[in-house]
Amino acid sequence: MTIPMELYLPIAGNSVNIAAVFGLGGAVGLLSGIFGVGGGFLMTPLLIMMGIPPTVAAATDSNQIVGASTSGTLAHLRLGNVDVKMGLLLLIGGVLGGTGGVEVIKMLRAMGNADFLINITYVLMLGLVGGYMFVESLQSMRKAKAPAKDVPEKHVKSSAFGRLAASLPWQMDFKRSGVRMSPLLPLLLGVMVGVLSAIMGVGGGFIMVPVMVYLLRMPMHVVVGTSLFQILFTCINVTVMQSISNHTVDFVLALILLVGSSLGAQVGAKVGKKLHGDQLKILLASLVLVVMFKILYELIARPDVLLAYVGGH
Amino acid sequence: MKRAILVFLLLVAAPAGVWASGLEFSVAPGAIDIGSTYNGTSLAIDGRVPEGSQVVARVVGAPQNLALKQKGKVFGLLWMNMNTLHFSGVPSVCLIDASAPLQTLGAAGAGLGLTGLTDKIGIEPSNADRSVLLPEFLRLKGHEGLYRETAGGVTLGQVQDGRQAFSLRLPIPSRLSPGSYAVEVYAVKDGAVVAQASRTVEARLTGAPAFLANLAFNHAAWYGVLASVIAILGGLAIGLVFQSKGAH
Repeated sequence: MTIPMELYLPIAGNSVNIAAVFGLGGAVGLLSGIFGVGGGFLMTPLLIMMGIPPTVAAATDSNQIVGASTSGTLAHLRLGNVDVKMGLLLLIGGVLGGTGGVEVIKMLRAMGNADFLINITYVLMLGLVGGYMFVESLQSMRKAKAPAKDVPEKHVKSSAFGRLAASLPWQMDFKRSGVRMSPLLPLLLGVMVGVLSAIMGVGGGFIMVPVMVYLLRMPMHVVVGTSLFQILFTCINVTVMQSISNHTVDFVLALILLVGSSLGAQVGAKVGKKLHGDQLKILLASLVLVVMFKILYELIARPDVLLAYVGGH
Repeated sequence: MKRAILVFLLLVAAPAGVWASGLEFSVAPGAIDIGSTYNGTSLAIDGRVPEGSQVVARVVGAPQNLALKQKGKVFGLLWMNMNTLHFSGVPSVCLIDASAPLQTLGAAGAGLGLTGLTDKIGIEPSNADRSVLLPEFLRLKGHEGLYRETAGGVTLGQVQDGRQAFSLRLPIPSRLSPGSYAVEVYAVKDGAVVAQASRTVEARLTGAPAFLANLAFNHAAWYGVLASVIAILGGLAIGLVFQSKGAH
């Protein structure tokens, strides 16, 4: 072949194979389109494996997600899957929480054991979220099979959380999601996810999605579109901040990943539409559990090299 | 940069006596251009050394300071990054090749190898266990392809007028930062360096990589906004392409 497949990236300081990067973008974009997660928790480790420095991999990934979630949000908007009002409330909460989370992480770093806490948070959150989603969707798939119902029942349990949610002021309708609640609820949950995602250094899609499904009781398809909409703005913020303070965004790399992932996200949105809500949930739950076990394994197995650059994951 | 020149001057000036005694070499290309399609390259090093000596050639990057985290076990179970260590005088790159394995070249061979190089690295805090950390450091750099010690790449040629020709094609990794690199050649005989010489090769960004690096480092805010806008436009464009396909 005469077409040069290797491209040198000045920010990453290394050359990469264009086809490999394109393929990686496509695969992660597909998952992103199906599940409404940014895919950062998959993309970043894979980029590091390709020889991109960890800090550049994480920052460039945010830049890539900006494009992928634009394309994904557009596709979901067209399918009527984005609850803009809900998304904005979550976003405002997320930005507030994220700012607070950055302060928390600074404090933890000053105390010393930040990295360890981050990894433990990962394992606990992923295990909890993935495990709960897996069991819940398995149960509801069984139920749906028995009485041959199309729509899974959606009765609001009168749990403590439910009573608290109902007691909040300014109850209003969220038409797209078909729920009625106080705007304070998504705002507060947004803050919570923002804090967690700042600590964990990710977009937070894989925490936000279960929060919307189980705590805000939104239908799965609207959850995916709304999550992508919210991630878009979070990642624009991260891209600009990382460019200014750390010079770690490689936009040539991001652009190649983007073309791959945008195409993948379009296909993913169509695939997601064909899948049943419970199937979507169980697939995402499996993915989250796989990543959880990978992080747990890395915590337990002896590392290949006992030294690491400061600033890596 | 300044330090690199200083090191270079010291290397050339100190052994001036032996330098005159018949070691000369050339490097091609004289500078490394890192353009869009750069994917590693190789340096051709050719020259002549005093008859009967073995040849050691090294490409060494400018020394820098590095902060590293040591990994350790907590609760006897989980691995995590523990204390921060500050390494000083660490060459960014060190590629070594020779006409014979360095272990067979006596004291000089040991000094010119990677272990000889790490002996000169400073580690803070000073009570850190060098015997554990230095081999781990070599593994880290080795995994990145930035440190390498091989033998047999240097071929010895004909002897003429008491001097022996040698040649080497030394592969340079793709993960290369712009800067000055010293190309050093040593003639080793009976476990001692009998002659040495050094040249510098500049690696510089050209074309698109130079343009992007300048934008990213000198106009960071614009770069960040531009990166976001391009990503959004790219995403929109692809979204629209799909829409028109779906409509027909």
